[in-house]
Amino acid sequence: MKVPGKTTSQIAIYAAVCIAILLVPLVLDDAFLLNKYARYLVFGMLAVSLSLSWGYAGILNLGQAMTFGLGSYCMAMALKLKTIPVHTGSDGLPDFMVWNNVTELPWFWIPFHSLAFGVAAGILVPVALAALLGWFVFKGRVTGVYAAIITLAAMVVVQLLIIDQQRFTGGFNGITDLAQFEVAGFAFDAYGSSSYYLVAGCLAVTLFLALFITKSKTGLILQAIRDQEDRVRFFGYDVALYKIFVFSVSAGIAGLAGMLYTIVMEFASPTFLGVPLSLSVVIWVAVGGRQSLLGAMLGALVVTGVQGALSESETFLETWTLVMGLLFVLVVLFLPKGLAGAFEKIAARFERTPPGAVAESTAPRSEPIKSGREIEGVS
Amino acid sequence: MSPVTEDQLIMDRASVSFSGFLAVSELTLRVRKGELRCLIGPNGAGKTTALDLVCGKTRLTAGEIRFEGRPIHHLSEHRIARAGIGRKFQVPSVFRELSVWDNLHIGHSQQPGVLANLIRFRRNIDAEDISRLAELVGLQADLKTQAAHLSHGQTQWLEIALILAQDPALILMDEPTAGMTAQETKKTAQLFDRLRGRHTLVVVEHDMGFVRDIAETITVMHQGKLLAEGTIAQIETNQQVRDAYLGSGGIGHA
Repeated sequence: MKVPGKTTSQIAIYAAVCIAILLVPLVLDDAFLLNKYARYLVFGMLAVSLSLSWGYAGILNLGQAMTFGLGSYCMAMALKLKTIPVHTGSDGLPDFMVWNNVTELPWFWIPFHSLAFGVAAGILVPVALAALLGWFVFKGRVTGVYAAIITLAAMVVVQLLIIDQQRFTGGFNGITDLAQFEVAGFAFDAYGSSSYYLVAGCLAVTLFLALFITKSKTGLILQAIRDQEDRVRFFGYDVALYKIFVFSVSAGIAGLAGMLYTIVMEFASPTFLGVPLSLSVVIWVAVGGRQSLLGAMLGALVVTGVQGALSESETFLETWTLVMGLLFVLVVLFLPKGLAGAFEKIAARFERTPPGAVAESTAPRSEPIKSGREIEGVS
Repeated sequence: MSPVTEDQLIMDRASVSFSGFLAVSELTLRVRKGELRCLIGPNGAGKTTALDLVCGKTRLTAGEIRFEGRPIHHLSEHRIARAGIGRKFQVPSVFRELSVWDNLHIGHSQQPGVLANLIRFRRNIDAEDISRLAELVGLQADLKTQAAHLSHGQTQWLEIALILAQDPALILMDEPTAGMTAQETKKTAQLFDRLRGRHTLVVVEHDMGFVRDIAETITVMHQGKLLAEGTIAQIETNQQVRDAYLGSGGIGHA
């Protein structure tokens, strides 16, 4: 049976992009630039996570930065405790706690003495929170703009909590002065190629994991849910469970991205859970093409890259936000499927499908079952 | 068909009111296993609402619905579907952004679990089943076509094929021939003939020619209530039915 399949070429393109990203440190020997590019790659991962829930399942998560920030804080807590006794006060307390007259390490900080716990929490806490939020939202059949507003509100609540609980979270200042991420005696220097490889490697893995999900039947059903949620139920699929699943996976990827962000930035801040970042992710994904994981990722790289270049250039020092805004408007107006959609159009123009296949698939047909006497006649 | 087959679907004094308006009122309906039942009635008689009640789209305000012996009116839609009830909607309702092939895969829902489907890939599973279904409804050449690009009649057939892929014991069809040409309608009637016996069908139809072609027993609804039930000959001579259709050009033009 011949099946519409472009999976093989898609895997090849994804692999090529991943390899290209992994090769960058070989030709670039600039610690500052490597760190900057590693940051962009983290944003790329964040875009992949949103593309999975928004592009494939139609869940517009305006609070994607919530899970990103939680991952970031989990990593920061673990790395902070690794600095004992350099950046800690008496009794091995983190410095900001001493300044806030905390005398004892809070219970929820204690397990973070283990880096492995921190890494696990950086993924599982976002997943658990997303699953809980998803349970209420999707079981309650809240959809569209209302679901989007709830995700945004949830993020703001978590951000306010973090800012408010200064004694335990560092408040506005976040958690700073961290140790380097270290695995089996190997330290990842934020300004070295090791951290870049770590980020690029994680990005490649998540990209393929996400691709795997979208290619499975679960991924297909998610697309059907995006298309017509109510219809899917009448085939026996539990729509809410499917949505909770993809929402949680997306949160886990965002949490991982958050952890990596802490590693390359060397701090965690409440701005990581902020509305500006969260809305930026939506823009990256829209520009890149939300129905393409790779497109969304490249969208993040392009937008943050251009943004970085413009904001650092003297000519656009004052006007770069204006230029970005204009670019976004142009893309939304003329490329509704983003850069990925434009690329697909161009590729389709060059790629000549076998003439027979095209004629077959486009000609509208109207005869159903072939059963003898009814074949000829009215069209 | 043996005459002693039990009732598969039982609606027992089912009622639903939409803010005071009784769309279906104390409707009692029994459908035997393997039967092809037509449900007719003038506009607003509550036919579609009756189907909505069975598949869980609308909830009962009173009464009971039993399927294969157990009550189903309190189950969620996907549980009703898993119990073996499929529904074709009046406005053909397929996944327009996906290809015909992908649509059929979604219809093939014998395994509805999230994690189970995570390790199933579209290319290798159920391929034979699906191409056989595509052939049955004449869409074998359009497997790659996006569903949005199908003609109206083709879309109707695609949805019918989706339900056949689901393979439910009971199929609820809401105006399956709406918008079809005479030729297409005839072929649909043939298709239904082939389904007879293997599936139980409840078909809401306006096209009396089509009903004449396929029906065994006809149920007539009027203003949310059951008006008459019987063979086509009994229904056509029933005075109450004639009165109900008065002013809408007679039963043949409803």
